[in-house]
Parts: sequence; structure tokens; C-alpha cells
Amino acid sequence: MRVLKGADVEQVIRKSGGARVHVELPAKFKAGDRVVARNLHPLGHTRLPRYARGRRGVIDRDHGVFIFPDTHAAGTGQKPQHVYAVRFDARELWGEAAEPRQFVYLDLWESYLDPA
Amino acid sequence: MNGAHDLGGMHGFGPVDPEPDEPVFHHDWERRVFALNLASGFLGQWNIDMSRYAREQMPAAEYLATTYYEHWLFGLEHLLVKKGLVKPEEIEARVAELRRQRVGRPAAGS
Repeated sequence: MRVLKGADVEQVIRKSGGARVHVELPAKFKAGDRVVARNLHPLGHTRLPRYARGRRGVIDRDHGVFIFPDTHAAGTGQKPQHVYAVRFDARELWGEAAEPRQFVYLDLWESYLDPA
Repeated sequence: MNGAHDLGGMHGFGPVDPEPDEPVFHHDWERRVFALNLASGFLGQWNIDMSRYAREQMPAAEYLATTYYEHWLFGLEHLLVKKGLVKPEEIEARVAELRRQRVGRPAAGS
């Protein structure tokens, strides 16, 4: 088992990698595409907020390819895939009482999305 | 999981009140919990998403009544026990020892 020594802390923290994966994968969506967040309620880890499930939005941009947290947390693989900034109208999320022309942008993994 | 951590859209928590010049840590134990998490993570027994999921395992009522680094401590203990690196009895014994040492001293501020 690896053990972190005091003298190595700075170097280890500086070089710790993020979740981006440098592979080319086909993107299922492009900016402007209409999508709907899937109505998922997994018992495991997910980064799809409850308030967005089943809601319709528009792809704002493609961030590139990242490790999929849901499977990574379960120990079932990195399942790299595109992550998109998805724009949701506040009224789609919070109903008619929400202010008009307000938007919520969520970074969502491709597995969370269906075409709408 | 549909846990207490997924707070978006919930009512009743009051206004968000950002602290001016907020320090990274409010108490020394928080600094220690953070360092323990990084050092233990380096053992290579779990990844960052497993750490997040471990923090979500805290019972919902407890999660809402505790602070950020208490969640981190819970998650770390959960993973250390799950991976067989520490036994629950060892954690309990150490907590009991620290409690005994504190007897006769004024209560800590936190």
C-alpha cells in the first residue's frame, strides 16, 4: 500500500489529476440540441440533481470527456463520456412562480441525458 | 442516492450568508480531518467519487445537523472500516481515550 510521506505532500497535491480523460469519443449531442434529463433515482452516487430529473433543457456547450462519477464511485469502471453544460429555464425547474429569463446551467454527463 | 446532500430546491434553511474573509478552516480539527483524508486517499484504496459516496452514507438527520468537515470525517471513517484498514472498535477506543484525557479540563470551544 502506498504511504504519503510529509516531504512528498506538496508534489503529490500539485500533480493530482482531475477527472478529465484525454480520449476522443463521439459526442451524442451538440450545442443547441434539446435534451431531457433522465428520471433516474439510483441507490449509488450520482451528480444528477433531483430537481433536474425529467426536466427539459438545451445543450449550451460540450466540456469534453470526463470520468463518469456514478460508475467510478461504485467501483465498476471510469466509463469516460462527454459532459455538457445544459441550460434549463428557471420556470422548467421551479414552475410559473420563477422569474422569467432566468436560467440554471448544470454540467451533466451524457448518461444522464436523452434527446428531447 | 436521494440523500440529504442533494439540497437543491429545498426550503427552510434560511438565507445564504457568506462570511467575509472566510478562513479555509475554522478549527484546527478541521485542518487535521482534511489532511487525514488526503493522506488516507493516497493509500490508493478508493477514488474521489467513492469518497463523495461515503459522505452520502451519513444518516440524513445527522447529515443536516453537522458541518462540512464532520461529513468528511464520517466518510473517511466509513471507508477505512469498509476497506478493513481500521476496526470500528479501534475508533471507539481512541475516542474514549481522548474523552478520558479531557476529563478535568474546560470544555473546548467546539
